[in-house]
Amino acid sequence: MLEALNVSKDFGANRALDKVTLRVKPGEIYCLLGANGAGKTTLINLFLDFIEPTSGEVRINGRKVADDPLSTKRDIAYIPEQVMLYGVLSGIENLKYFAALATGERHSREQLLALLTEAGLPEAAADGRVSTYSKGMRQKVGIAIALAKNAKALLLDEPTSGLDPKAASEFSQLLAKARDRGVAVLTTTHDLFHAKQTGTRIGIMKQGRLVADLSSQDLSHTDLETLYLQHMAA
Amino acid sequence: MKARTFWLVFAHEARVLIADRTLPLVLTLFALLIGYAITNGIVEIRARDAAVASILTKQNERNARNIDQLQRINAGIETPAPFSNAADPANVGGGLGGRFAYVPTSALAPMAFGQSDMIPNYYQVTYRSRVNFMYDSEIENPWNLLSGRFDVAFVIVYLLPLFIFAMSYNLLSAEREQGTLRMLLSQPLTLTKLVLAKVSIRAGTILTCAILIPVAALLIFRPETRDAVSLVQLAAWAVLVCAYGLFWFAVAVIANAFSRSSAANALVLVGSWVVLVLIVPVLLNLAVSVASPAPSRTELATQTRLITVDGLRRYQKLFSADYRYSDKPDLLLPKDGRFEVQSRPKAAFMLQRDVEADIQKLLDRFDAQLEGQQSLVDRWGVISPAIIVHEGLAALAGNGSQRYLHFQRQVATFHATWKQFFEPRILESRAMTEADFAAMPTWKWQEETLRRQLSDLSVRAIQILALVLVVAGIGFWRLKKSSAV
Amino acid sequence: MIRLIAQREFTEFVRDGRLLWAGGIMLLLIVTALGVGWQRQSHLHAERHAAQHLDYEDWLKQDERHPHDAAHQGMHVFKPEPPLSIIDPGIGPYVGSTIWLQAHRQSEVKFRPAQDATGLQRFGTFSAAWLVQILAPLLIIVFGFNAFAGERELGTLRQLMSLGVSSRALLWGKALALAMGIGVLLVPGVVVAAAAVVIESEPGRLLDSALRFLMLGLAYAVYLAITVFVVLAVSARASSSRVALISLLALWIVGVLLAPRVMSDLSRHVYPSPSRTEFASDLSTDLKSEHDKAWREQFGVSTGWGPDLPLSKWGVALQVNDHVGYGVLDRHFGALWDTFEKQQRMQEWAGLLIPVLAVRSLSMGLSGTDFVQHRDFSVAAERQRRVVQDIMSHDLIDHADPLGDRHFAYQADKELWAKVPPFDYQTPSLAVVLRHHWSGFAILSAVLAAAVALALLFVPRRLPL
Ligand SMILES: Nc1ncnc2c1ncn2[C@@H]1O[C@H](COP(=O)(O)OP(=O)(O)OP(=O)(O)O)[C@@H](O)[C@H]1O
Ligand SMILES: [Mg+2]
Repeated sequence: MLEALNVSKDFGANRALDKVTLRVKPGEIYCLLGANGAGKTTLINLFLDFIEPTSGEVRINGRKVADDPLSTKRDIAYIPEQVMLYGVLSGIENLKYFAALATGERHSREQLLALLTEAGLPEAAADGRVSTYSKGMRQKVGIAIALAKNAKALLLDEPTSGLDPKAASEFSQLLAKARDRGVAVLTTTHDLFHAKQTGTRIGIMKQGRLVADLSSQDLSHTDLETLYLQHMAA
Repeated sequence: MKARTFWLVFAHEARVLIADRTLPLVLTLFALLIGYAITNGIVEIRARDAAVASILTKQNERNARNIDQLQRINAGIETPAPFSNAADPANVGGGLGGRFAYVPTSALAPMAFGQSDMIPNYYQVTYRSRVNFMYDSEIENPWNLLSGRFDVAFVIVYLLPLFIFAMSYNLLSAEREQGTLRMLLSQPLTLTKLVLAKVSIRAGTILTCAILIPVAALLIFRPETRDAVSLVQLAAWAVLVCAYGLFWFAVAVIANAFSRSSAANALVLVGSWVVLVLIVPVLLNLAVSVASPAPSRTELATQTRLITVDGLRRYQKLFSADYRYSDKPDLLLPKDGRFEVQSRPKAAFMLQRDVEADIQKLLDRFDAQLEGQQSLVDRWGVISPAIIVHEGLAALAGNGSQRYLHFQRQVATFHATWKQFFEPRILESRAMTEADFAAMPTWKWQEETLRRQLSDLSVRAIQILALVLVVAGIGFWRLKKSSAV
Repeated sequence: MIRLIAQREFTEFVRDGRLLWAGGIMLLLIVTALGVGWQRQSHLHAERHAAQHLDYEDWLKQDERHPHDAAHQGMHVFKPEPPLSIIDPGIGPYVGSTIWLQAHRQSEVKFRPAQDATGLQRFGTFSAAWLVQILAPLLIIVFGFNAFAGERELGTLRQLMSLGVSSRALLWGKALALAMGIGVLLVPGVVVAAAAVVIESEPGRLLDSALRFLMLGLAYAVYLAITVFVVLAVSARASSSRVALISLLALWIVGVLLAPRVMSDLSRHVYPSPSRTEFASDLSTDLKSEHDKAWREQFGVSTGWGPDLPLSKWGVALQVNDHVGYGVLDRHFGALWDTFEKQQRMQEWAGLLIPVLAVRSLSMGLSGTDFVQHRDFSVAAERQRRVVQDIMSHDLIDHADPLGDRHFAYQADKELWAKVPPFDYQTPSLAVVLRHHWSGFAILSAVLAAAVALALLFVPRRLPL
């Protein structure tokens, strides 16, 4: 579903990605690990066409992103670390707008409320201004947007950082549900525990290169933390 | 689907702009300012119309009195005073019967005062040389001339861009700073479409406000604007204002296409406004006056004096001849169609005629120079849209330099006709008759043709639309290359 | 401490290019404006001086002629262009410079430069004064909008406060830095202007010019200081540097662009001035009725210049006519000019809220290009006209024809022309100017005090971080 083929990305002299090849199939949760500045966000930005690859190819659902970014964007949903919304509008108004942009359809209030509830936002909060929301509440609106889009793939950039343990585990459950529906998920994280719990595949990045690409079977034998530190030290 | 996305963003923007109170605030303030400006204009133009009307009434009364007096003189009932004698062609051709030449206010006059607070809109034409009356100016406090007037043209040229900036300096940068731009662009939506929709809602509202309020006020309070010609002019006016507004929106798009902060955008925009609206016009004015300098007025004064001295010498004999009214009061009455014009008025007429002829070349130089400057401004004005629009709005309001030049040329022609009519009567001592009063030249204003106005205007519109295209082209090209992160 | 703060701040202006770019453009503009102003002033001054001289010579050289014809021919007087008009041409472009002194009527000062210019003139006159009044405050805004707000966003403000720097020291330091920034840009302009003024001053009035120049400098210094403190106050108060910038720009636009025009409308509303038609017709009506009265009283005739009055009396009649007219003219022109002055005074006092109005008035006054000094010239010119008229009428009375039926046959000679003194006009001294403009200094000082108070209020001892 999500494919990066031999992708490199230079920012001037700085090589942020170096010949990365990575595939995420439907029903897979791919967790990307790596130190700050390893290139995780850069990779996600490539799928979103926020930046162009210097060389190599990025594909979504078999189509090259660069050829028709608008149509590939229809298949994906994106939740950044900080879900940012229009502060002067309510959660439900934000959702209505983004959902309409994503799908081209208008949703009824009931539909929108259902989406928000599914994402875990209490119904009472739906009509409050987003400027009064906590980070976790904004995150949930972001999830609702993804749900509304009914995307085939999810791109998540450190989605659980800053969430309290309960919220993080609720989020993991939502991810599991998505996986069961056959959605391909690519998520970056610094949380090894979370990665191990939810991921079906795990990649480790170091200085722009994908240095490890492990399936969940491999993981059952090895201790992820030791592995990670080994790679970092090497 | 495509068009729907546009309208979706459009409607959403409207909601956000209303929710954060930008739109109500900006539009109310702008409506107040432009409302004040058009009120100012309508009041002022009414006063000017009233002034011209009162002059004309006075002139008609005077004319009637003159004819009345002439009838009484002819009937032998009245012996007139020497210097207010309706039978004396030198009197009638001078101050007693001098006609007012005036330029009527245009239908759109309340839109821009232009040069009207400085150049008079009427002159009293007598046989005296043009040097004597053409350099009069309207009475106005020079301090106020310096400050400038608060008219619709001021609101459009100076303030509209600032209001446009207030609405759009952070068109994209705000979304970028809030982080919503990433959210938006992860949806199937291009930056170009996003910006187009954002600009459309802003341009739609403020330009509607800028056009509708003055136009509606004029249609309601100035019935002159309701005929076909004026409606065409109003439409042209609206086109000019729209094009100008779009230019500044395009500038705002360029500023936002670079991923800089909102504060930096505000600075860049105000900087561009300072350069294009404040500095370039003032520098162009300077450049034009250097490239085509006005001949010296001091020189004109000196020349006028020398020519007058010459004339005084030439007609010395006539000037020294005394009035003979004391011993021959009969001289004040016409006899057999003749009226003995005294030597001094005769000499005065000839002196003025000669001064006029001799000074003509010098005056022509002034006219040519001013036209030279104007054509330079028309050619180079394209370096700032503010200049194009300022000149265009003044021209549409009928208060531009061109129309005043047109007026002054007509006054010169009328003045010549006037003198021609009186010259034989004064020099050959023919008494004024009632038929003469009916046949006397009357001022008839010839409006500039609509075609000329429109061709002039379409040049400006093309200039400014070309600027809009160039700037918007750069903006959207830059936008394509700019990234969401 | 304060110096240290100012130095760091100033280094920032230099490093981030603000001083180089914004400042460089400003510097270039000011020096250009002064150059252009200098060239214009010296040209006009020389030309008018020469013309004035020539005109009087021609007057003396007149042929034998009837005195009233000589009076009709009259003379021209030219307004001298003061040396400080290099800096501030004031109302110059909108008033004339030449008066033709003729018999019977007070003339207007003619030939306004703006009438020989295109509509672009209405965008303003390019001069050093214009640049400092309008653009220098903008420059201070660009330099200072993030003085406090920017440091707050960076977090360096917390750092500074934790080191025990007092907030007031910070304020004075930043004010000093802004003053240095703007000062560096103005120094070259000040030097050029000073040189120009010294060179163009008449030697006898060098002291006058120098004092005017110093006071002009003082006035602008106070004006710019007001801007500095307002900018710092707003920057300290604003929640972010963006808010600070937007508020300051809005203040600037209202202050230099909107308010002056609104005030000009308002002053016209409070003290309406007549249109040219009204003025001319009121004047004519008044003149006629006064003349008729005088003719009735003095000569017992009902119409002026009629056959009932013997020609030998025309000299006396001319004098009576003129003298009656003087009063009427003084009344009408006086009232008009008083109205103008009242309008301006009102706007000057509005300077308490809109300092640009106060400094503009003061700057024109000190430069000798304001209405008060224009009026002084007009009055002097009219006085000269009356001197000519009176001398001519006197001569006519002395030579009234004993036969009773001659008047214009009489011709005076060069001796009479020489009785008219040359028009020797001295521009008003600084003392006169200060009598009119002390209020400008008072207003600016009051506004400065208010601006400092505002800055102190918004930079309290415990600065919000
Ligand atoms: N727009 C950009 N311009 C220049 N360099 C960039 C840009 N974006 C990222 N980089 C560089 O690319 C490299 C990878 O950055 P990236 O943001 O992908 O790291 P990351 O793995 O997401 O780090 P973190 O865990 O801190 O989020 C870094 O060296 C960064 O400096
Ligand atoms: Mg990252």
